Amino acid sequence: MLLLGPINVLNDLLLKAFSQETITFFIWPLIQIGLVVTLVALWVAYATYLERKISAFMQARLGPMRVGPWGLLQPIADGLKLLTKEDFIPDKADRWIFFFAPYIAVASAFIVFSVIPFGPDWAVIADVNIGLLLVLAVSSVGVLALILAGWSSNSKYALLGGLRSSAQMVSYEVAMGLSLIGALMFARTLSLSGIVAAQASDSIWFLVYQPTGFFLFLISGIAENNRAPFDLPEAESELVAGFHTEYSGMRWSLFFMAEYAAMVVVSAVATTVYLGGWYFPFVYRLEAAGQHNLFVFVSLLVFLVKTSIILYVYFWLRWTLPRFRYDQLMDIGWKWLIPSALINIVLSGFAIFVVQALDGWRGINTIESLERGLNLTATGKGIMIAIGVAGLFITAGLLARINWRSRDFHLKTQRRNIRLVNVPKGKPAVQPGS
Amino acid sequence: MHQVEIATTQETLLDSPEMVLNMGPQHPSTHGVLRIILKLDGETVIDLDCDIGYLHRGMEKISENRMYTQIAPYWDRLDYIAAVSNGLVWVETVEQMMGLPVPPRAHYLRTILTELNRIASHLLWLATHALDIGAVTVLLWALREREEILKIFERQFGARLTCHAWRVGGMPNDAYDDFNKDVRQFVNNFPKRLEEYETVLSENRIWLSRTVGIGVISAEDAIAIGLSGPALRGSGVAWDVRKSRPYAAYADMDFDIPLGENGDTYDRYLVRLEEMRQSRRIIDQALEKLPDGPVNAKLPKIVKPPVGDYYHSIEGPKGEIGCYLVSDGTAQPWRVRVRPPSFINLQALKQMCVGHLVADVVAIIGTLDIVLGEIDR
Amino acid sequence: MPLVKTPKPTFAQKLKRFFMIDFIKGLTLTLKYNLGALTDKDAVAGKGIYTEQYPKVRPDVAPRFHGAPRLNMDPETHDTLCIACNLCAIACPEDCIDVIPMDVEIIVAGKPRKKKVLDEFIFDTSRCMFCALCQEACPTSCLELTQDFELATYSRAGFVWNREMLEQGRETVKYTS
Repeated sequence: MLLLGPINVLNDLLLKAFSQETITFFIWPLIQIGLVVTLVALWVAYATYLERKISAFMQARLGPMRVGPWGLLQPIADGLKLLTKEDFIPDKADRWIFFFAPYIAVASAFIVFSVIPFGPDWAVIADVNIGLLLVLAVSSVGVLALILAGWSSNSKYALLGGLRSSAQMVSYEVAMGLSLIGALMFARTLSLSGIVAAQASDSIWFLVYQPTGFFLFLISGIAENNRAPFDLPEAESELVAGFHTEYSGMRWSLFFMAEYAAMVVVSAVATTVYLGGWYFPFVYRLEAAGQHNLFVFVSLLVFLVKTSIILYVYFWLRWTLPRFRYDQLMDIGWKWLIPSALINIVLSGFAIFVVQALDGWRGINTIESLERGLNLTATGKGIMIAIGVAGLFITAGLLARINWRSRDFHLKTQRRNIRLVNVPKGKPAVQPGS
Repeated sequence: MHQVEIATTQETLLDSPEMVLNMGPQHPSTHGVLRIILKLDGETVIDLDCDIGYLHRGMEKISENRMYTQIAPYWDRLDYIAAVSNGLVWVETVEQMMGLPVPPRAHYLRTILTELNRIASHLLWLATHALDIGAVTVLLWALREREEILKIFERQFGARLTCHAWRVGGMPNDAYDDFNKDVRQFVNNFPKRLEEYETVLSENRIWLSRTVGIGVISAEDAIAIGLSGPALRGSGVAWDVRKSRPYAAYADMDFDIPLGENGDTYDRYLVRLEEMRQSRRIIDQALEKLPDGPVNAKLPKIVKPPVGDYYHSIEGPKGEIGCYLVSDGTAQPWRVRVRPPSFINLQALKQMCVGHLVADVVAIIGTLDIVLGEIDR
Repeated sequence: MPLVKTPKPTFAQKLKRFFMIDFIKGLTLTLKYNLGALTDKDAVAGKGIYTEQYPKVRPDVAPRFHGAPRLNMDPETHDTLCIACNLCAIACPEDCIDVIPMDVEIIVAGKPRKKKVLDEFIFDTSRCMFCALCQEACPTSCLELTQDFELATYSRAGFVWNREMLEQGRETVKYTS
């Protein structure tokens, strides 16, 4: 009721100038795009602020406090500072590629937000039916920006750093894509709104069916974003410079914004696919009560809260864990995550087969109807959850088998003990002449 | 700046298998102005050379033109993190050369404050080592503990870092009024904090992957190079100057020395953590046994050791720091020579790094715990 | 190829490894710090915030702190306590002190005598190590290192203090917000 009024009024106003078709297909999407871009830009800017504050609290200190009350205007101050810095392009650098690389990075991070379902009805800009594929494809274009930035800087170390970063990102993208397939098998559609609807119709979050998938997706997402504990190419800019060394001022801040926007993208996709997106059981009753726009608004808030929780996990991991070395990083990507993702796919297929087979015997009731998602009964859900949890152990066992020769494998959680020795004391330092 | 000899082929970057990489003097992880030239095969280190001297201030030469009491502040600036221990070496060398008896209260206070300094130095080592490997939070926590110790130093000596703590014959001032209370409070809070650092690091699989088996040096090699301090004890050699030639009040103290087994980075990390616990134990005992009395001895008008030479060393946090003093009977020494533990420990860097990856070089420099002030003097 | 021998893990260690107990312990500690920063007031022994918001909050400087030098004056007569003995300049390892005496005529027991008093006192704080040897050398407790630590100036000449600056001390800017 609250929001329906203004939307109708605006609609009527616009009808005076344009046809209803233009409004539905052109003007409303423009307004949505404007809102989403503003929201995401603010979110990214305040994600940097939150990172500084949360890391400060974890370290028993305060974080930004001077600019504005509690330092709230810090991102704006940072933005202004970066805008006013000298913008120089190195002499021998490839001008046009150097110029475009940051824009490619930012564009590929922001385009993804056009398919993410922030809420049920009008809170999606474009409900494309290959939404998830679009997300993965466009994020991959971001890797191109890294390579171009490293190449065009015309610096030995920037090139090497950029190549290492992009090699890492490409390896983890394979793992990311494969880990999503498990959840896709349950949703049976690539459309992101469809995935949320599948979870809503089952009133379950896919996290419960697919714990392995969720962890795999999150870990590969963190590595994809070059965030700790996988940030050696960035942090080792001490030794081999990262791809963005030669960038300064606003261009550098575009890379920075692209990194945080990519973090928000991965969090949003993880929320949509595994945490139920905007779906929350009790909120659904608002829809039943007929308060449609309020329902959409509250679902929007639910989505934002869930995504922020995963963003908090990003910050939490960064400021607690040490870094992996590059070879260990690539090891994990190829020898641990990809086999786990493949095992996950096999197990998910097996789970669906079991559920359908049981239903076919007419002895046990597991599926209600095969219209949307899986639509399981309570027994069916129980079986799925059991297989999901068993999958964790099976995956761990198989990984141990695959990696039994790995050097680091036996090191884990093996704290060594130091022996204390009480050596007999010698003579005290003697004074000469005595 | 001297020319460093690392033979390399003449091929270009992308053709040759070898690359010469310069970890220049300005670097966040070299703990000072240290320049390392690495010869790499891909990512593996095949050769290494250090270029030092960027922090050389001519301290030993300056000392030849100063009086004995004026030289003490220069010693603080050697290993500027452990200024109290450095001051102790100098002052004890002069006292022992002159045969000056130091009152027992001064000995005990020296023990307490030197052990506090050892904890402070090890905390900074832990902070920077964890920072290099990526766990940034431990940096801030360890610096918070160190801040408490520096507050005690400020109240006692008047300065936090370069304290000019001791004078020949004892100390300039007695312990300040709240000394016992402050040190007691620190000693009570400290074990819990050490547990916190261990929770985040010691069993963490990422930490283990980064430190186990990295920078291994065997006991024989360690003795051959002349390592001392935790670097030596991490390889299993039981040598601690506090036990073998006790100075100050250590002869009365009951403590253990931790020994590692494998001589890798993880062992040295555990050894230093355990040393902090043993230091806490020493401080506890010394506070209990603290005698009353004066804190400084009567000095002649001008401090003049007899003609001759003398060597005295103590167990500093980085290793065995020593002073070789040659006196010609005048008010200014003939020669002052510092035995810098970091300089000698740095000689092991090449042996420890060859065969490892570039990212490990940073961890190995951290585990040797070098301070350029001491290396370059 | 492990460079050191590591023993094979026991079953309990394998379980700990599977459930990622090492990560969980570290992560819980950081979470406790995060919540403690908002609720805990004890920073020294607990998980509270340790920051001291300088320059709004002035730090607690110890009485013995080796800070800016000051020449003390007799509280009643407002004469300087310095007797121009030059001991501080001799004691200084860095030669930052310059004591310039002058002779004045005074009457002692009816006869005119010459007495050495202080004319000018130059102290170069840019060379100073703040080792307090000068403070210890002074026989009349005239030269004292105070608790003032904010010694920055905009020019090199600003570091060289003369007698007037040493006697009156410097103004520190106090921030109120």
